Amino acid sequence: MTKKQKTLITAAIVFAGTFGTVSKAYAMHIMEGALPVGYCLAWGAFSFPFLMAGFFSIKKTVRENRRALTLLAMSGAFVFVISSLKIPSVSGSCSHMTGTGLGAILFGPAAVSILGLIVLLFQSILLAHGGLTTLGANVFSMAIAGPFLTFFLFRIFEKVKWNRKLSVFLAAFFGDLFTYCVTALQLAMAHNSATTFEIALKENLIIFAGTQIPLAIVEGILTVVVIIGLENYARPELKAAGFLKEDR
Amino acid sequence: MITIDRFSYHSGLRYVNTGEKFAFSVITLVLCVGSRSVYLAVFVLLAMGILTIKKGKIPLGGYLRLLSVPVAFLGMNSLVLGTSIRQTPLEVFSVRFGTWYLTAGRETICYGIQIFVTAMAAVSCLYFLSCNTTMTDIFVLLRRWKCPVLIVELMLLIYRFIFVLLDRGQAVAAAQKSRLGNRDYRTGIHSFGQLISCLFISSVKRSEALFDAMESRCYDGEIRVLEEEYPPKRKEIFGILAFELWACFLIWIGR
Repeated sequence: MTKKQKTLITAAIVFAGTFGTVSKAYAMHIMEGALPVGYCLAWGAFSFPFLMAGFFSIKKTVRENRRALTLLAMSGAFVFVISSLKIPSVSGSCSHMTGTGLGAILFGPAAVSILGLIVLLFQSILLAHGGLTTLGANVFSMAIAGPFLTFFLFRIFEKVKWNRKLSVFLAAFFGDLFTYCVTALQLAMAHNSATTFEIALKENLIIFAGTQIPLAIVEGILTVVVIIGLENYARPELKAAGFLKEDR
Repeated sequence: MITIDRFSYHSGLRYVNTGEKFAFSVITLVLCVGSRSVYLAVFVLLAMGILTIKKGKIPLGGYLRLLSVPVAFLGMNSLVLGTSIRQTPLEVFSVRFGTWYLTAGRETICYGIQIFVTAMAAVSCLYFLSCNTTMTDIFVLLRRWKCPVLIVELMLLIYRFIFVLLDRGQAVAAAQKSRLGNRDYRTGIHSFGQLISCLFISSVKRSEALFDAMESRCYDGEIRVLEEEYPPKRKEIFGILAFELWACFLIWIGR
């Protein structure tokens, strides 16, 4: 490990330690029944164009290269599995990665939007994380907003030729944080009858910040470690996934 | 996840028509979420629980353990909704931070409870569907509804791969654990990174091998599987209609 990573990890440990409990990353899913019907439909409609774009991009890729289908399916399963594995956390409670940030860096945001839709559907049916009515809202925050930000940050950092590890870390960190901000916004928009919208938003942000910021840091570090591992051991496989990167 | 999947294959309601089960749980779900009626929510929570355990023959302990998963998160969510941050304290309690109060009134607490109960009822609808319907039946339903072939195909493959990769991931995690791969936080992070890289490599390799295998068996863009037909029964349809009418009645009472 490099010196920078060591400092990053120490910083993360201190951070996570101060905030005490690292709760489940699944807190980012909006549970079934937590949003009124109007908002469910609105968020679904909002995600629809992105999903269409993703669908057509996948369709094009598959038409050009049939092999891509199994690879895409594998990457969907990959995102599902890494988001269900326990990550090491300080307090001993279990937490999980969102995995979509890594997916966006590896496979591109358009593909991740469709894969994310399928993964979220499976998570709601098989794990009861998220739900059928809140699928649209969850897709928007976790499969569209986060991955797109991660991807664009990563591209920008790559353009200005920053340190690669740092750029992966920052991209994953901000993507994660952005996902959670969007979730807070969605909840605040739906539940502000007792107060005003701004206060509800502030409340949501404050209450979840304690658990989500350390998690975002851990996710960032993990993404860096994974990318390093992949660059060391999986160059040919990265190239195989790389064809997805070219068509965007 | 494997728990729910296992339940769905053993369920007593597995051979009931998929469309019926889907319509039943989704209509009830929409009524619950749409009305936010506490009466209906309590009724649905009980009815779905009884149906899943009695008719679906899902073990009670397993079902309760499944239900306890969302409780922690929903509890936290309701805590946020049940309290509010204001400059003036409300009647039930208040904690002061500078000029602001973290406080709760009767109204906000009722709101928190209402959301909690409706969300639990919604989760029980979802569990009714997922504990009694196998994923493959849902794919058949999606295909019949003209969902794009590409999406259904991807779902089918992803569903299959999830188990393959999960198995692999668990094996690697066990190997790491038995070799003190998690002895401190730093090693834990390092091992996790290695685990993911290893999973990635193996998933790419497997996807290549799978494509070759499918290609050699004349794969042309669609996987065709034989479907079993479980036609809907009149008794069941009447039961569902009666249930939904009763649900509407409960919403009307709750107003």
